[in-house]
Amino acid sequence: MSTPTTEGQTFAVVRELIAKDHAIAPETLTPETPLQSLEIDSLALIELIFTLEERFDVVADKVPDDLPTLGSVADYIDGLVAARMAAPGDATPAA
Amino acid sequence: MAARRVAVTGLGVVSPLGMGEAGFFESLQAGRSGVRRLDAPFSERLSTRIGAPVDFDGAAHFAPPRLRMLDRVSQFALVAARQAVDGAGLDAFDKARERAGVFLGTGMGGAQTTDDGYRALYEQGAARLPPFSVLMAMNHAAAAWIGIDYGLQGPNLTYSTACSSSAVAIGEAWRRIRSGEMDVMLAGGSEAPLNLGTLKAWEALKTLASEDADDPSSSCKPFALNRSGMVLGEGAAVLVLEEWEHAQRRGARIRGELIGYGLSTDSSHMTHPTVEGQARAMALALEAAGIGASAIHYINAHGTGTAANDATETKAIRQVFAAHADQVPVSSTKSMHGHLLGAAGAVELVATLLALERGTLPPTINLRMADPACDLDYLSDGARKVSGAGVAMSNAFAFGGTNAVLVCQSADAARTA
Repeated sequence: MSTPTTEGQTFAVVRELIAKDHAIAPETLTPETPLQSLEIDSLALIELIFTLEERFDVVADKVPDDLPTLGSVADYIDGLVAARMAAPGDATPAA
Repeated sequence: MAARRVAVTGLGVVSPLGMGEAGFFESLQAGRSGVRRLDAPFSERLSTRIGAPVDFDGAAHFAPPRLRMLDRVSQFALVAARQAVDGAGLDAFDKARERAGVFLGTGMGGAQTTDDGYRALYEQGAARLPPFSVLMAMNHAAAAWIGIDYGLQGPNLTYSTACSSSAVAIGEAWRRIRSGEMDVMLAGGSEAPLNLGTLKAWEALKTLASEDADDPSSSCKPFALNRSGMVLGEGAAVLVLEEWEHAQRRGARIRGELIGYGLSTDSSHMTHPTVEGQARAMALALEAAGIGASAIHYINAHGTGTAANDATETKAIRQVFAAHADQVPVSSTKSMHGHLLGAAGAVELVATLLALERGTLPPTINLRMADPACDLDYLSDGARKVSGAGVAMSNAFAFGGTNAVLVCQSADAARTA
């Protein structure tokens, strides 16, 4: 069974990960929060995407370089999830 | 241009005997051992379960995102570098970043990351590895991180010559300052080999000490008749080396002076040392320092506790020091902190500089059964208070045959030189 995702839920996961990592209140993070303001550089972004790949069972071939905000990261993951669910022959049989 | 002088202005050490120079030297002076039975879950699979681990929690030093990028070997190095830079009162890198660099030594680099990665792949069948595996495991990661943290734009090199790695790094850094190429160098070494894969590999080489049945902490017995091998330890040491005038201009506290470095290669056998090779490195270091053997007041020996090294090193010291060999106190502090491989030379140079500064020579512990083949004054009765000990030698030899010897003097001796 695939994880049901909505944009809001994906962002909530991103927010939870970042808040925990940086020891800050989740409420201070919005979809508009720039990665730069959290000192998430290209390497930290690779790690964040890696964690999200596992969480949402998707694979990113490359980490795009146009993800400036937390919201754009969540959208990118949502795009991968949608592509996976639309892909033919990927219907996971029910256990 | 006349050769420039090289002051030591900062000392950082992360060791099985404690963090920071004060705790480290206090333990050395008291003859305390950092060797113990390893309590890691994997230790049941070891036939030799002893080691000299560092009581260290990376989370106390690094925030989680940073910590996940650092192998244990880099964590040690960064903490030691911080101590050294803080101790040196160096906050003026901005002015001269291009004339400051980092030379470190390590034997195994990010061995923990490599071990973790192989376990995940082969034992747990993982489909992929953590994203920073390469950056954590690469041998020069520790040096690169130090360079990044302090913005040092001069050369950043990592030397790997097994157990002499960090003595080589320090000696080569000394040369860069002496020649006028650099003004400040952070130099030292780091090692974190206490993981299952690395320990099993060492076990197979049959050079590790067996556990002392009565007291595991006394398993390392350099120069003793009943010595049975080396005990692996982990840790790091970083020194701030600084051109003498540069240090004086900024009013730095000078902790000592590095005055000589000798480098030779046995070129005969992968593991068996030669008297000639070791003696030549010592003689070259004395020559570089412009002093005779009789000017040396203390030798911090390589003294691994293996049958081959300790007898060979004793002969080499006799060859170089001739009649003075019976007058010069020698100790192996490895008896207490274990063999830190690529970090050994740096940790032992810190011990040597502190011994001169404090006028107390650290002992060789666990030496109760004399070996006729090891017949020098090894300070086996405990630390010795001395007055006027101004100049000392620190030896580091290695598998592969790279022998590196450093000669230093106390700040007091340096001022009257």
